[in-house]
Amino acid sequence: MDALAHDPVEGAAAPAIARPQLDLELINIRKRYGDFTAVDGVSLKVSKGQFVCLLGPSGCGKTTTLRCIAGLEEPDDGDILIGGKEATKDPPWQRDIAMMFQDFALFPHMTVAKQVGFGLEMLKKPKAEIAQRVQHILKSFEIDVLADRKPASLSGGQRQRVALARAMITEPRILLLDEPIGALDYSLRETVMLELKLLQQRTGISFIWVTHDQNEAFSLGDLVVVMNHARIEQQGPPEEILQRPATAFVAGFVQGNNVFLGRVTELLAGALRIETPVGSFLVPRPLAGPAPMLGSEVSFSVRAELITDVPTERHVNRLSAVCTAVEYFGAVRRHVFERSDSEVLKYDQFGAHAARIVPGQKTLLGWAAEASVLHAGAGG
Amino acid sequence: MSTIRIRSPASYWLAVPAAAWMLGVVVVPIVLLVWVSFWGGRAFSTASPLTFDNYARFFANQTYLKLALSTIVHTATLMAVTGVLGYCIAYFLVMKVKSPGWRTVLFLAFIVPFWTSTLIRAIAWVPFLGVNGVINQTLMFVGATNSPVEAFLYSLTGITMAQVSLYTMLAAGPVVYMLNAVAPQLREAAMTLKATPFTVFRRITFPLTLPGVVIGQVLVFLNVMSDFATVATIGGNKHALLSNLVLLFYEGSQIRAASVVAVLLMICMLVGVVVALRVVDIRRLGAER
Amino acid sequence: MIGWPKIGWKGRLSLTSWILGTITLVFLAYQWLPIFTLGLLSFSGPTGGTTFPMNGTSLHWYEELWRATVMNDFKPPLVRSSLLALACSATTVVLSVMAAQAMRGQFSGNGWFFYLMLLGIMAPGILVGFGFAIMMRLMGVELSWDTTTFLVQVSWTLPFGFLTMLAVFNRFDKKVEEAALTLGASRLTTFRRITLPLVLPGVIGAGLFGFSLSYDEYARSMFTTGPDATLPLAVMAQLDRQLTPEIYAVGTTTTFFSLIAVLFFTLAFWAMRRSTSLKKSSSA
Repeated sequence: MDALAHDPVEGAAAPAIARPQLDLELINIRKRYGDFTAVDGVSLKVSKGQFVCLLGPSGCGKTTTLRCIAGLEEPDDGDILIGGKEATKDPPWQRDIAMMFQDFALFPHMTVAKQVGFGLEMLKKPKAEIAQRVQHILKSFEIDVLADRKPASLSGGQRQRVALARAMITEPRILLLDEPIGALDYSLRETVMLELKLLQQRTGISFIWVTHDQNEAFSLGDLVVVMNHARIEQQGPPEEILQRPATAFVAGFVQGNNVFLGRVTELLAGALRIETPVGSFLVPRPLAGPAPMLGSEVSFSVRAELITDVPTERHVNRLSAVCTAVEYFGAVRRHVFERSDSEVLKYDQFGAHAARIVPGQKTLLGWAAEASVLHAGAGG
Repeated sequence: MSTIRIRSPASYWLAVPAAAWMLGVVVVPIVLLVWVSFWGGRAFSTASPLTFDNYARFFANQTYLKLALSTIVHTATLMAVTGVLGYCIAYFLVMKVKSPGWRTVLFLAFIVPFWTSTLIRAIAWVPFLGVNGVINQTLMFVGATNSPVEAFLYSLTGITMAQVSLYTMLAAGPVVYMLNAVAPQLREAAMTLKATPFTVFRRITFPLTLPGVVIGQVLVFLNVMSDFATVATIGGNKHALLSNLVLLFYEGSQIRAASVVAVLLMICMLVGVVVALRVVDIRRLGAER
Repeated sequence: MIGWPKIGWKGRLSLTSWILGTITLVFLAYQWLPIFTLGLLSFSGPTGGTTFPMNGTSLHWYEELWRATVMNDFKPPLVRSSLLALACSATTVVLSVMAAQAMRGQFSGNGWFFYLMLLGIMAPGILVGFGFAIMMRLMGVELSWDTTTFLVQVSWTLPFGFLTMLAVFNRFDKKVEEAALTLGASRLTTFRRITLPLVLPGVIGAGLFGFSLSYDEYARSMFTTGPDATLPLAVMAQLDRQLTPEIYAVGTTTTFFSLIAVLFFTLAFWAMRRSTSLKKSSSA
């Protein structure tokens, strides 16, 4: 900690180094409902203007965490700091946040103009200023023609824009979004996703986006937080999550990974030998931290596109399996195999090559030792 | 497609028995009453000439006019009291009671009396209000007064007290229904838009429950205006409202005068209902959103 | 599962909760105390008056009720009220199911039909009873509890049953009907075998309305029963003559019967609901 921060001397000069301020900090948040723990020790740091995606299956605690940040739920333990200020006990209307709800939660009895201006009314802004800012934001979201309409007469896409305008007009520090494009038609989602990404970059507001859809999370997020069973499994930039999953859950949850469970049988120079029910494989030692002990239970994964069906000497890890299905997506051909332990193995072939494998065919597959990723979270 | 074809003769004919029943038993008698109220002459027959005399006689009578006025004032008072009380109770039951078990218990506790006779419930107020009644005995026991308060039984106060206990749930019921229909997200959204809880109530919750309030008020209005039994039981012979007047005339065989009062009552009620129906469309009762 | 009532989720809002809660509970007492008092006083001693003190407890007034003099025998009115209520209940059920099903067919003029039904609730009992009695007089029809009273009482109970069935049909998913039709069932068969069993809770509700509304009805009955009184009318007549704890005994008894009827219908309702519910609860 910087000693200057506690300098009680009056008139001391402010430190010349700009201290990076966090838009949001969650410290060990815990929330229980009776016997059920919804959020268990969640800690998170969100820098200024960061796009964060909370990703996970239903019931993992992502929505509860979001609601705690909004102030709609009170955590049993832990602290919430918004813009560096303690906000844990603050009610929602006193926090520097705004929220977009899953079904938009538009006020059915107010016109678009009235509800977009609602937040400013609550901030006791003068009527003239409200009218002007409402007009401005409606124009920038291209919904100014809808100003006097009521929500019932709007389409899904229009409602989404109204909900967004209503939230953004108060210029919050953080915008919380609870599965915001889930209610839209499939064709609209891509467009809206891109618009929201650009909006976030333009305004510099931190977005915290909750979703169960990986495509959303990985394409939008600067920081992706994968949650499961009330805990954070892994957080980091999308590439890190995709290339170096930290736990078996993350590896399995994220598309395109093949997960293996086994035991360490040998400690070699730069690698470990891991014995699994379907064979023995070489996995690189972890880059940081101690290697797992001999005999400990570990898990690792291999990305589907790093596997090959024509293994050479450098593909030291080999596996024989029977192909059960081949799916062709144009740029990629996905082969699904059944392993001898009845688990599924995926092999993705990129590029416009001719099909080499047919369903029912037994194939020898291989991958390089470096392609395996040891899961740091497991082991011990 | 369903078990009944849209606009088929079957759907029309299925409605005929109920329609005929209501037409014959309600509409025709009411129209008859209107007709009778205009009957002149001495004999009570369908050949009577039509005249405004009966109405003239009614409006010329100060006592009757005062009675009509006090009926309206009394009804308005009841509407106000039950409206506020009913909303408080409805809000508490829907918003403040979190455990569904307790909510069911409380609902039942409020609804069950409705399945018993209003007459009996009105009668039950007599031992409460009298000079030796429960209220007076409690007040004297607690030391609030030294001699029994006579103002309860045989007074409008007593009638009001009894009617509040009878009709508040009519005001509360529709409000409960509308409160349930307000999605919690709407209130949460308002809170994230910097609205304090009271503002959320004033700008979001209350406006959205207004149709329920109006329906409740209409129900109370209709019931209080036509409630002669409570007035008679608790007011004794000292008090009468418009509905009692109808009975009075009927028992005195003054059929024409009775029908005049009846028609006036009907007009009051019709006006009230029409005003209310412009605020809310009740045909969507129970429809899924 | 049922612990202390959980009130509110933010400490600061608990003041509102306490105020509203107090109002609610005070009103609950306000609504129930008179009934309890009635029940309590019906057990007054033989010298007890119509208010406290009770002068001992006894079944004296219930005995008076049972023994019944010529002047105030409540047994025949009780029988008449019960029979009327059953008849009203059955008629209401049949007519309201028909009317609600007709509404689903959206026949032309169904808006007017709906308001016609509502008229039965909105028109005050005295007026309907009064007008109907005049009509009968002019038509030369004799007033009697089993004919004219029955007719007016149904005009009161039918709209309630109708609204109940309307609400039930509004929530009804007609896709199950469509499934039956595509499986070869005729419209009538589908209604009989699929629709009716599924809307049975609503039907029972309509029946309950028909029964208890008729049983307690007095305003319309007053004008149309002729010489034979129903139970509420007998109570009113007795009230006019003299207020004794015997009235309380009648009141308590009839309330008791009402509650039994409600309980019966409610149990039937729940039994139906459970057996036709698609969500069979298996162990979590």
